[in-house]
Amino acid sequence: MRLQEAEGLYHPYEVFVQYDHLQHHQHVGSVLAPSPEVALLMARENLLRRERAVNVWVVRKDQIHATDYGDDDFFAQEFDRSYRRVDGYSADNARKWKQFKQRALELEDMLGD
Amino acid sequence: MTEAVKPEDEAKLEEFMARIERGEKIEATDWMPDEYRRILLKFIQMHGVSEIMGAYPEKEWVPKAPTLRRKLGLMSKVQDEVGHGQLLLRVAEELGAPLGVTRESLITDIFHGRTKFHNVFHMESPTWADAGVIGWLVDGAAIIAQTALLDTSYAPYGRVLKRICAEESFHMQHGESIILALAEGTKEQRQMLQDAVNRWWESLYFFFGPPTISRSAELMMKYRIREKTNEQLRQKFLSRYVPRVHSLGLTLPDKNLHYDEATQTWSYTQPDWERWGRMVRENSGPKSQERIALRRQAHEGQRWVREAMVDSPHRAAV
Ligand SMILES: [Fe+2]
Ligand SMILES: [Fe+2]
Repeated sequence: MRLQEAEGLYHPYEVFVQYDHLQHHQHVGSVLAPSPEVALLMARENLLRRERAVNVWVVRKDQIHATDYGDDDFFAQEFDRSYRRVDGYSADNARKWKQFKQRALELEDMLGD
Repeated sequence: MTEAVKPEDEAKLEEFMARIERGEKIEATDWMPDEYRRILLKFIQMHGVSEIMGAYPEKEWVPKAPTLRRKLGLMSKVQDEVGHGQLLLRVAEELGAPLGVTRESLITDIFHGRTKFHNVFHMESPTWADAGVIGWLVDGAAIIAQTALLDTSYAPYGRVLKRICAEESFHMQHGESIILALAEGTKEQRQMLQDAVNRWWESLYFFFGPPTISRSAELMMKYRIREKTNEQLRQKFLSRYVPRVHSLGLTLPDKNLHYDEATQTWSYTQPDWERWGRMVRENSGPKSQERIALRRQAHEGQRWVREAMVDSPHRAAV
């Protein structure tokens, strides 16, 4: 095999699988392939031997723009963000509703009939 | 003259309807009838635009919030709503692309009166209690409307809604936190809360739409975009919120409002459908024009920024 010739012709493709229509595609791994078509086949054979799925994306790795793992500043949260989260309010709300002989509503309460 | 339907389209339509009836989900790349595309597009655009216009009544309170923590909470909530608008407009863009729809047209439709937004966002929010009642009751109503869409036949919409609803659970807690603080506050604070509830109540009836099933509502059901009726959603809202309003010791400004044990439904005074409908159609509510002008100013005033960002890689290369 003339591997040297193959070098530069095969590219890593990142694989994203959508398991059902109401889920977004999820990154599950990568394959090395000579073309997008083959990458799709390899993704199916390598990563979808058991689970069912409705769609697969393959994206050439060099087409992906990513953050740097060392770049902590990118993800920095300058201060406590509890004011943005449910748990920043829920305990206090629950206590207050109790005073009014009620309980707080949750998202699940909105789902049923 | 109506154009004759091509036989191959008829076969596709039949297959499409069979998919819908089997409960299958439709993706942006699937064949779909023009009618399905147009109804969905109009609906998702209105949803997206309402998220964006819905940020205005609350954003008015960001500079005037009573504490720093309230200011941060309200800012986060407003930011989420604009984010929901962005997610929804992306779905609308892809759906509308074959019809020549762009982000630009989806937004400019707001100030050309070519799309509508929810009645509640045309209204004034004169006190801090209004900011609370919006988060509590208007978001509550919106969450009931949105969770009813989670199983929609259009998959890209369903996926985005899942994320939106997850963020809405923060909005529920945030709104309740504001109104609970007022409810256990001074006499004046309780009165402010009562006045705000009185101001918003009728508009919340209208929010869900008329009890009659319109042509577009019928199509929404046929295509399984949404299967619940306006009235079912309004009833759901009443059953969740009326008892909570009452347990805070507050009253509701509707003498006819009561639960009818015999029919297992809430009876209520019909809102003035004609007056509210006209307000939404003509953008003639107390705050409609002012907020639309702000939206236009933001869109046009920031055009140079959007353009500069496109240009910057070229400039950097020089
Ligand atoms: Fe929202
Ligand atoms: Fe919200």
